[in-house]
Amino acid sequence: MATTLGWLVLALPLAGFLALALWPGEPPKPVTRLIGAGSIGAAFALTLAIYAGMLSSAPDRRLHTSTLYEWIDIGGLKVDLAIRIDQLSVMMMLVITGVGFLIHLYATEYMGHEPGYRRFFAEMNYFVFSMLLLVEAENFLFLIVGWAFVGLASYLLIGFYYDRPVAVAAARKAFVINVIGDVGMVLAAFILIRDLGTLDYTQVFQRAPSGLSSNAAEAVALLLLVGAAAKSAQVPLHTWLPDAMEGPTPVSALIHAATMVTAGVYLVCRTHVLYQLAPAAADTVAVMGCVTLFLAATIAIAQVDIKRVLAWSTVSQIGYMIMAAGLGAYSAAMFHFLTHAFFKALLFLSAGIVIHALHGEQSLDRMGGLGRYLRFGYVTFAVGCLAIAGFPGFSGFFSKDDILASSLAAGSLGQALWVFGTVAEGLTAFYMFRLLFRTFADPEPPGGYTERPHGSGLAMAVPVAILAAGAAVIGWIQVPFGWSWVTDWLDPVFADSVKPQVLPTDNDEILTLAVSTAISLAGIALAWWLFFRDPARGRAAGRAMPEARETLEEAYRFDEVYDEILVEPGKELGDALRTEVEPIAIQGPPAAVVRWVRDFARGLSWAESGLVRTYAYVLIAGLVVVGVVFSVTVGR
Amino acid sequence: MSGVPLAAYLGLSGVLFLLGLYGVLVRRNPLLLLLAIELLLNAANVTLVGFSRYWNNTDGQIFALVVMVVAAAEVVIGLGLVVAVFRQRMVLDVDELSTLKG
Repeated sequence: MATTLGWLVLALPLAGFLALALWPGEPPKPVTRLIGAGSIGAAFALTLAIYAGMLSSAPDRRLHTSTLYEWIDIGGLKVDLAIRIDQLSVMMMLVITGVGFLIHLYATEYMGHEPGYRRFFAEMNYFVFSMLLLVEAENFLFLIVGWAFVGLASYLLIGFYYDRPVAVAAARKAFVINVIGDVGMVLAAFILIRDLGTLDYTQVFQRAPSGLSSNAAEAVALLLLVGAAAKSAQVPLHTWLPDAMEGPTPVSALIHAATMVTAGVYLVCRTHVLYQLAPAAADTVAVMGCVTLFLAATIAIAQVDIKRVLAWSTVSQIGYMIMAAGLGAYSAAMFHFLTHAFFKALLFLSAGIVIHALHGEQSLDRMGGLGRYLRFGYVTFAVGCLAIAGFPGFSGFFSKDDILASSLAAGSLGQALWVFGTVAEGLTAFYMFRLLFRTFADPEPPGGYTERPHGSGLAMAVPVAILAAGAAVIGWIQVPFGWSWVTDWLDPVFADSVKPQVLPTDNDEILTLAVSTAISLAGIALAWWLFFRDPARGRAAGRAMPEARETLEEAYRFDEVYDEILVEPGKELGDALRTEVEPIAIQGPPAAVVRWVRDFARGLSWAESGLVRTYAYVLIAGLVVVGVVFSVTVGR
Repeated sequence: MSGVPLAAYLGLSGVLFLLGLYGVLVRRNPLLLLLAIELLLNAANVTLVGFSRYWNNTDGQIFALVVMVVAAAEVVIGLGLVVAVFRQRMVLDVDELSTLKG
């Protein structure tokens, strides 16, 4: 039952994509809306049904697998087109289809004025299908297929405005970096095939403890990490995500905030057995997440593009999840994934209200005082800020504290990372409220607005309101010293662990609650003092440290360094190959063949004189020769 | 079997054929070409009639008649073409008349 529904959940967005893509001509907008948003809505309803079905069965009987088709059966390696419905994948599916549906609904109005309405929804449906394939896959092969599909969907949607060179460049950058990750995943799968002879999750996790040498386990885990880092925009493969903001805002909300970029977190949680066999790789994951969350949080302080601030904050928040997953606090990572999906989608969609109202303006320098015109957007954005900043009672408060408290419980490395995570929480609160105040609080930009910013319609307001409600309260599903529904729900998934999951002790909880709450309140207060109480102070602070500010604005110049050491030498190598090697080695042999054939044909064409008498001579001569030969050989 | 022996027929035919062949290969005037072709056809006719008498079978003679009819038709068309071309181009040299060559 659950698996049938699982296949249907997978099929609906695919059907929506095919219907929209193959519709002859341009379908009417209501039809596009109905198919585009309806398919995701129906998928969400079915996912809810799966979830309800799971709730009514015992916790250890909630894992379902189903095979549709035998894909590969060669040399002892058998790979099926199969899905796996368990607590982890259902949690992902609920977010993908649920938040995805709200964002699709929002996009029906947001994208209303744009050309390519049908293309937008077709590609969005394709993305949802790919993402569901990624989380429902029962083996590494289809995980990689979904992994590559979401990469393609991301490429298509970042480059949605294909007439803008910046957008096309950003799309290409995202694709290239993601392919680096794909290569890592494929190599990891090769090692698994070599050593374990299977790609099925169930069998890999069963055989890995005995079948994988510790070196092989480290190699697999590190190669998978390359994939996770590329997809989840972790240092050093993070540079594509801020550029990806060139895509339409609903795309940023769905793909580059709520779902796709958290695939790396899902991957580490799903393959937790491998990471537990590879402690060095797991530590690398944690450190990488921590470095990312800290760097991104500092960068976000100095950005002046509203969507880029949110992009860096996404990088930072995923850093938290990756850090938790690396330390072995899987359910804390998944809990933060859940709350982050709500508040980050909310923040992006609220930013979308602002951008929509200002007809595409994204620079903070030309914003301010918008709270007067966009009261609704102000409130929802503020809710999102409170949630991400970890204000007590809002969702981010619970999930981020869960991560920090767990890292405190994860040995000396975890305690070191805890310090950075806690400081970054203050930074998060600071840059989010800087963003909030600079957008919505006075003063208005110099010269004011040429026309009165307009509010948005119901199709945009309703999803934002639902997300705001979610971002406010969803954290209450796991409360320290109260209940831990997320951990309990996911517990059976991690039952096959070699090591038990990292869970915080009471002391860790108390210390984290006290320190991180104080720090995030301090961050909010500082932002309030600089950008609300007297905005001149904020401007002066920015001018006081021009060098630091520039470094942060340019994101520590990762892009420049990559250009210097990778892109430019790559171009030079390409040029050299084109001018030196290609004409001789590649074009040489075929050109020689062409020349030879042409000369040979020229020689033959001499015989085709067109003079009938010449032909007659040749004919007679041939006849005479045949006659002579005949009489000599047969005549005897 | 009396009278002219078969070898005489074949000899005459061979001589006629070689004359015709010489004409076809060497001459450039279309009128003479047509004449040479007539010689070739009639060389074949002599052979047909000769064998017909040799085997006492009239099939060969009937064939010879058919060939004559065909030859007559061919000459009519050929001469017509030659006249038309001459009017058009004032040339009587087959090597010059090569504008239809591919």
